[in-house]
Amino acid sequence: MRDLELGRTFQQTNGSSNLEYVNARVRARRAALFDDDDYRKMIRMGIGEIARFMEETEYQREMNALGARYDGVDLIEYALNQNLAKHFHDLLTWADGMLYEQIAAYLRKFDAWNAKTAIRGIYSGADAEEIEDDFISAGEFDEAFLASLSTADSVEAAVELLEGTIFGEVLEPALVEYQETDVLVPIENAIDRAFYEHLMDGLRGSETTQAQQLYAEFLEAEIDFRNARNALRVAFSGADIDHSEFFIEGGVLFDRADIQSLLTEPGALADHIAESRYGERLADALVAVREAESLIAFERALEAAILEYSDRLANVNPLAVTSVLAYILAKEREVENIRAIARGREVGLSEQEIEEELVII
Amino acid sequence: MIELAQALSTDPVLLENGPAIENAGMAALAVGLAAFGAGYAERGIGAAAVGAIAEDRGMLGPGIVLTVLPETLVIFAIVVIFLV
Repeated sequence: MRDLELGRTFQQTNGSSNLEYVNARVRARRAALFDDDDYRKMIRMGIGEIARFMEETEYQREMNALGARYDGVDLIEYALNQNLAKHFHDLLTWADGMLYEQIAAYLRKFDAWNAKTAIRGIYSGADAEEIEDDFISAGEFDEAFLASLSTADSVEAAVELLEGTIFGEVLEPALVEYQETDVLVPIENAIDRAFYEHLMDGLRGSETTQAQQLYAEFLEAEIDFRNARNALRVAFSGADIDHSEFFIEGGVLFDRADIQSLLTEPGALADHIAESRYGERLADALVAVREAESLIAFERALEAAILEYSDRLANVNPLAVTSVLAYILAKEREVENIRAIARGREVGLSEQEIEEELVII
Repeated sequence: MIELAQALSTDPVLLENGPAIENAGMAALAVGLAAFGAGYAERGIGAAAVGAIAEDRGMLGPGIVLTVLPETLVIFAIVVIFLV
C-alpha cells in the first residue's frame, strides 16, 4: 500500500519469495563488480582517465546522463551514487514476498543516510539543491518526500517530517537534547540506532529455517562490527564518552553493561573480539590493532572481514537472502573504493596511500 | 441408509477381489507423479535460468539445457510403461 503522507514507496507484495530468480541475477551482478586488477589500474589514472574508464563500464549511462551538469570528481561521485540507487532499486523490483520485506528493511540504511544528510545540510545552511544532490534514493523515502525534507527550513521542521517513519519515535527525545546543546550528535545517533533496531523487523514470527538463521546471523554480524568499530574509535580517541549512547542493541558480541569496562583499554577489547565467533576471521586485523595501534588499518581490516564473512554466509545456503545482502555490501564497497581513488587522486595522495584506503578482498 | 449399504455390498465392482487400479493404471500414475516432480524441479531452475539470461544473453543455451534436465526423470518413468 502506498502511503503518500509518509513518503513511502515500499509496497506490500503478494506471493512467496522468488529466491531462485533474484539469486541468479544478484550473483551475476556480484561477479561483474570491479576486481583488484581494475582498482590497481584506476589507482594509476588521473581524474579524467578514471572518468573515461568508468564510461566504458557499468557506469556508462550515469556518466553520460550527468556529464553535462558536473565534471571531475563530482561527476564521478554523483554517477556512483545514482548507479548504486539504480541497482538497489532493481533488487526491490525483482523481489517478492518475504524476500522483498527483508531487502527493504535492509535498504532503509539509505533512509538513515538521507535523513542525516538532510539534517546536516539544514544545520550547516546548505541550500535545498545542494542537499538533494547528496541524497541516495535507494531507500523507502520517495522523491517527493526527499524534496520536502531538503526544503525544510529548520532541523525541527525536518524532524517533524520524519515523524511517522521508523525514525520518528527515537527522534523525539533526541530533538530535545539537540535543542539544549545545539549539536547534531544525539540526532544522528538516534537515526542510526533506529535503523539497526528495526533491521530485525524482517525476521517475522518464530520460523527458524536455516535461511532465517543465516539472515539473523548476517544482521547480528553487521551490528557487532558496527559496535566494535564505534567502541574502538572511542577507545582510540581517548575521550571520556559514555559509550552506551552509541551502543546498538541486537548484536551478540557485546552487551550494554560490559562494553564500558572493555573500553578502558584497546587491548581488552581486542581480546574480547578474539574470543568471539569472529576471532578467527579477524585475527590479522587484531594483530594490526595491537601492534600498530592504527585505527584506520583496523577499520579497513574490519570492513574486509565483514565482506568476507557475508560472502561465506551467502554461500552456506545458495537460496537465502544473505546472498542479496552480501551483494549490497560488495556494491557499496565498490562505490566507496572508486570514490576513495578519485578523491585521493584529486588531493594528490600517493598510490601507496590510496591503496591503504581501499578494501579489496 | 441400510439400503445404501446393502446396495454397496452387492456392487459387483467392489465384490470383485482384484486390485482397485490395474497395472496399466498404476504405471500411468507413476509417470504422472514423475512428471509432477520434474515440473516442480523445473520451476526453481527455470526461474534462476531466466534471471541469469536477463543479466547475460549468453546464458540462453546453458539456461535451457539446465532447465530441462529434470525432464530426464520423466523419461526414466516412461520406461515403467514398457515394463507392464
